[in-house]
This record gives sequence, structure tokens and C-alpha cells, in this order.
Amino acid sequence: MVRSLLLSFCQWCNNSWWGHGIRHSTWLFPFVEIFHLLGLGILGGTVLILNLRLMRLAFKSESTAELAGEVRPWMLGSLAVMLVSGFLLFSTEAVKMYGNWAFQFKMLFLLLAVIYTFTIHRKVTLADDGRFGRVVRVFVAIVSLLLWSGVGLGGRALGYVTTSVSSVSELLR
Amino acid sequence: MSLASFLEWLSNTQFSIFMRESTWGEPIVESVHVLTLTLFLGFAVMLDMRLLGVVLKRRRMSEVLAQFNPWLFGGFAVMIVSGALLFSADPVSFYNTHPPFFKIKMIMLVLAGLNVLIFNATIGRKVAQWDLNPKTPGAAKAAAVVSIVLWVLIIAAGRAIAYVLPPP
Repeated sequence: MVRSLLLSFCQWCNNSWWGHGIRHSTWLFPFVEIFHLLGLGILGGTVLILNLRLMRLAFKSESTAELAGEVRPWMLGSLAVMLVSGFLLFSTEAVKMYGNWAFQFKMLFLLLAVIYTFTIHRKVTLADDGRFGRVVRVFVAIVSLLLWSGVGLGGRALGYVTTSVSSVSELLR
Repeated sequence: MSLASFLEWLSNTQFSIFMRESTWGEPIVESVHVLTLTLFLGFAVMLDMRLLGVVLKRRRMSEVLAQFNPWLFGGFAVMIVSGALLFSADPVSFYNTHPPFFKIKMIMLVLAGLNVLIFNATIGRKVAQWDLNPKTPGAAKAAAVVSIVLWVLIIAAGRAIAYVLPPP
């Protein structure tokens, strides 16, 4: 049930006007990809800044909550850029992605990382400095770094994993 | 030795041959290069935003510089080393990409370096005078804008190289 829903979603993206348009343009794909890469740069850097502060490894002169207040908008903004550009890139070969293990890995980690960022990570970074102990803060930071690294590694692997399945009927078999 | 013969020599070194022929050498180095970019760009943009007076306004500029610089220089060093390793895999093709994205990237990199040097020699040296001023001086803002524009172009050109490089 879930599988066939996901597959029809992929087919829908694949056949959308934007998926079609980007796929058949020479320069649109690289153009969108550059935004994806720029978003990655800012997202990765801001995630690292916040987590380093959480672990008290850098930026100690500012309280974590204060720093988070300034850095989080950039983190969330670049995340939005990445999600939109990523969705567009995905749409150019959505059906192929459906069967790609690196893509599934990346999406799983992305889902976990986003949920984590908006719940536990948000709560701990925006809390007053005395509220959570050292161990908790370091742990929360490490989990965040691991989840985002998973997304990044999955994304990097995407470029190297080629799926042999190219048709929908083959996937359904 | 001319540049062309140097590139030729480089591409025949043991190391260059290893980078070209090993299955894992290039993917690993390339991943390091891209993942370090992540670290570097985020830090650079945050520093530039402080220079523009957008974030961390209440922090002393000198303090922000002192805290960001080790990460920026560390990240930059990793990128230069991993970038040089990638280049050494096929120096002749890199140098001769058409359109010349590699040359464009190198020129932008030099300009970005000059931007840092000029900043440090001029307005950066006088940081004590505007350390806590939420309105940063125009020269500092200019340096930040130049930095952002150059890094966007460097990243775009870097990505473009991979599109025009002949397949191994």
C-alpha cells in the first residue's frame, strides 16, 4: 500500500511539467543543483556552528540560546532552499530514485534529521544554558551531526549508485 | 619548465596514476572536498553576515573573527589539499576544460584570497574602532559582499567543472 503510493508519487513527479522541463533542458539541472549546493554549504555550516556551541567547543562567549536565535533562521532558510531544489532535482528522475538504495538511505536520514531539528534539538539549543547537563548537550549535538552526516553521505553516494531498473513495470515485478 | 610540460609530468607521477585508476581514491577525496565545503561556506557566510551587521551584532567583531578564523582556515586548508589531489588525477583535462571553468575558479580563488588580505590590511586592522558598532563600516560591508559573490561563483564553477571534464 505504502509502496504503491510512494511509487505513484514518484511517477507523478516524474511526469510533472517541472520534472519534464528540467530533464529536457541543458542548463536547468546544473542551475538548480548549484542552489542545492549553496544551501548545503550554509545548512552544514550553521548546523556545525550550533552543535559546536552546544558541546562548548566554540563560540562560548555567547549563550547557546542567543546564538541559536541568530543562526537558526539561516539554518532553516537554507534547509528550505535545499528541500525545494532537492525536490526539483528528484523530479527529473523520480522513478529511478524510487529503487535507489542511496536515495532511500538519504530520505530516511533527512526525515529523522528534520524531525529531530524541530523537536529535541530545538528544545535543547533554545533552552537556558543551565537547563541541560553537559552530557545531554554533547549527546544531543552528536546525534544531530550524525543524522545530518547520514543525509550528506547518502546524497554523495547517490552520484555513484546507478540503478539498473529504469522502467516502472520492472520495479513492480 | 613550461606549464604544459609540468602538467604532463604531474599526470605521469605515481600518485596521479593512482588517483586515476583506483576505485575509491577519487570518490573519497571528492566527498571530503564537498563535505568540507559545507563546513567552510556556512562559516564564511555567517562571518560575512556579521560584517554586514545582520547577525551576531552584539558580539565584538574582533571576537567573532577570532572564533571563526581557525575553522575557516582549517576548512580552507582541507579544501585546498583535497582539491589539489583531485586536480592531480587529471591535470591536463582540468586545466583545459571548455568552457574554462577551472581557470575561472582559480582566478576567483585568487581574488577571494586578495579580498581577505586587503580586508586584513585596511578596515580589519582598525577593527578596534568599530568593534561594537552595530553599523559596520562600508568597507567591511563591501568585503563581505565581495566574499559572498566570489564564493558563490567558486562553487558554481567547481560544480560546472565536473560537467565538462571528460569521463575517465
